[in-house]
Amino acid sequence: MKHSVNRPPTPDEDDVADGFEKDKVTLREIINVKLVESGEKENLMELVRDRLVECGWKDEMRIACREHVKKKGRKDVTVDELIRVITPKGRASVPDSVKAELLNRIQNFIVSAAL
Amino acid sequence: MSGAEDNKSSHAQLSSQIFLDLVDSVIADVASECHRVARLGLDRDLDIVEEELRLSVEARAKIADPSNNLETNTKYVVDIFGQTHPPVASEVFNCMNCGRQIVAGRFAPHLEKCMGKGRKARAKTTRSTTAAQNRNARRSPNPRYSPYPNSASENQLASGSPGVAGEDCSNFTVRENVKGD
Repeated sequence: MKHSVNRPPTPDEDDVADGFEKDKVTLREIINVKLVESGEKENLMELVRDRLVECGWKDEMRIACREHVKKKGRKDVTVDELIRVITPKGRASVPDSVKAELLNRIQNFIVSAAL
Repeated sequence: MSGAEDNKSSHAQLSSQIFLDLVDSVIADVASECHRVARLGLDRDLDIVEEELRLSVEARAKIADPSNNLETNTKYVVDIFGQTHPPVASEVFNCMNCGRQIVAGRFAPHLEKCMGKGRKARAKTTRSTTAAQNRNARRSPNPRYSPYPNSASENQLASGSPGVAGEDCSNFTVRENVKGD
């Protein structure tokens, strides 16, 4: 995969920042593709779901959704609205232990993929 | 060294971005699940259960509060579900013996008078006498209960009232018929 990426042989000095950004975006795409190909992404998704259910995060999210539904009325609620409402709270309330575990695992995968 | 550090920092950024993507997808799953439940009305039983839990918590709070407890005890009793009841049951129903309407809380003392037993036995009225006759007629084939009507008749004779005496004669007639058979 790495060899198939097209890059200019000698980047210009004026475009160093742009080149870095392009390189970063490309690297992220490569990592995502490798995650999907190797099945690691599904494993990570399962792991995230299990950990968040164990620590009660999902129940808190459900309660927040239910409160919003009661506020708005069950017939006037859309999925996008619910996602917008609970995303900040959801991101902030992820436990640090779960976050550390997942980040460590993802970093290990990136290192092994880079080799 | 600078290359390694850049790699580590970029790896950290990449991993955090990937983690946030995973969390966002889980959040979307939860939101769509809750939206489906809300639109289809599958959580109505859940609402009822929550209401019951809330009432239970309120009842416990009331009982735990001493001042509130004293006030409520004088008037009504609060049960575990937070409902209040009067100190004496206030339902009204018909007595199955004499046909009068009685308050539920006073049914027991009423029965003591109505059945004509104990120290508070009431003077027999037409209804109770009729009921007694019915009971005597029903029970007369059974020899086990024969002493009771005799004692009742003795009581009636002792009273010495002419009306009661007349009724007593009718009772005696019924017994004679049974003995004849």
